[in-house]
Amino acid sequence: MPSVSKPAARRASFRWLDRSFAVAGGMAALVSFGLFAWLIRDLVRLGMPRISWEFLTAEVADAGRSGGIGPVLVSSVLILVCCLGLAIPLGTGCALWLAEYARRGSVPARLVTGGVDLLASVPSIVFGLFGMVFFGQTLRMGFSILSGGLTLACMILPMLVRTTLSALEALPADLRPAAAGLGMTRSTTIAKVLLPAALPGIVIGVTLGIGRALSETAALIFTSGYSTRWPETLSDSGRALSVHIYDLALNVANGGPMASSSALVLLALILVVNSAAVTLSERWLLKRHQTS
Amino acid sequence: MSKLQFLRNLAALVSLTVASCGKKETGAVVVLTGSSTIAPVISDVAKRYEAANPGVRIEVQSGGSSRGIADALSGTADLGMASRALSADEAAKLTAHRIAADGVCVVVHRDNPVSELSREQLISIYTKKATNWKDFGGPDATIVVANKAEGRSTLEVFLHYLGLDNADVKADVVVGENLHVINSVVANPNTIGYVSIGTAASEAKGGTPIKLVSTGGVAATTENVANGTFPITRPLNIVEDALTSPAAKAFLDHLTSPAINDIIQKHFFVPVN
Repeated sequence: MPSVSKPAARRASFRWLDRSFAVAGGMAALVSFGLFAWLIRDLVRLGMPRISWEFLTAEVADAGRSGGIGPVLVSSVLILVCCLGLAIPLGTGCALWLAEYARRGSVPARLVTGGVDLLASVPSIVFGLFGMVFFGQTLRMGFSILSGGLTLACMILPMLVRTTLSALEALPADLRPAAAGLGMTRSTTIAKVLLPAALPGIVIGVTLGIGRALSETAALIFTSGYSTRWPETLSDSGRALSVHIYDLALNVANGGPMASSSALVLLALILVVNSAAVTLSERWLLKRHQTS
Repeated sequence: MSKLQFLRNLAALVSLTVASCGKKETGAVVVLTGSSTIAPVISDVAKRYEAANPGVRIEVQSGGSSRGIADALSGTADLGMASRALSADEAAKLTAHRIAADGVCVVVHRDNPVSELSREQLISIYTKKATNWKDFGGPDATIVVANKAEGRSTLEVFLHYLGLDNADVKADVVVGENLHVINSVVANPNTIGYVSIGTAASEAKGGTPIKLVSTGGVAATTENVANGTFPITRPLNIVEDALTSPAAKAFLDHLTSPAINDIIQKHFFVPVN
């Protein structure tokens, strides 16, 4: 009977389709994990043998082929601190203005969001050249950790603004009238209600920003520079880990092994800094919960 | 931590940061920018020079040859590093001092009878127009072509000599390091590759079964790179304008002296002074 077999066949084909979706999804997940695992395995295999306390703290010697990465590690962290020190307040402030003060769809708000989105699509080498001219030459910071950090701040700003903005916009709309009903001023509402509630979103933005800032090379070669001296002040030039890896991998003959070890350290550093950001925010949220 | 404590700590941090931004008391500073090929060498030289000359600070920054030339002209840098010859325009305004040469030579397995390849023959091998060693007097075997990864300075020098784009090259093996190329040649005797001449010479001398192939009728030796007859080479230059400071002048004298030859050799370049 053809009238019965037809829906049956269709059911069968749906089942097949269903199953193939699951298989395709599973394959995609497997490939994604496999690539990650492969990368880690290679990095550990090539980089692990030279990792030691000595490697992490010693000076760079022989153009990076021997010695350690002490000054480079310190410079990287200092650059990151400068970067986040500017980017977090600026990004949060900008997102707050867009979400809480600017009229949605008004010309200034559209200009700012458009500008921020445009900034997000600018290649990092352009930020590097901008940073070199603006921070390095116009503001006379020269090759310095400060100038590199500030350039990176400009680069990750759009990411912070976007994630903070969407976190603020996703908050329940009742929060604001409820706070007003309790007699809270706008600034108190922002500081005590909205920002803490949006904190998880902000932390995601900061985490993404940290990852991008620590792995950036192009923006730093022209700003924080190439020097492997121990940084004494923020106006010293200091080589970031990513720049060190790039230089070892491309410009130093037989620098490959040390580049792998440095890459492994960079990966570990990103993991440590990211989990620290997440843990801090969680602890802070928990504490607020308990005291209030 | 109370709010007051936090604010106090913050204030301390800010004042510390501001204070540390101020200029320090330093002696003479010599700034060099430019070629990323030369920068690692000069960093090494600078470290030793600073130790021997307290009070002098050598700041090395990379960024590319053209940047080094532009910075030497604008005064952003005291000295520029350029791993290419100056154009006529640039030479009118700047003086170039050769501190070393970067030579690249073709290597094959020691058992391969081929010992000389012309530029045209190399082009046909690297574009896979010729694919068998017997066309060049070798065994009846397919040529395995090893190329360098994009961005390597040896790749630039080699392709510049052949007049090829990296997109024209059809390679079987793409590797990054000189030693990887040599390992490929040792592992498969039908491989052809190119490496920094300093690396090849020291490996061949150390007993690695490779052969340095003559090109353009000139033997691939560091002497022929130093005297300028070997064709696949480029100069490593330090450029200066008329306004070089005394400290920069002194450092330049050091760079053009034989005192740095050991460091140049450690980076597999060829000393010329």
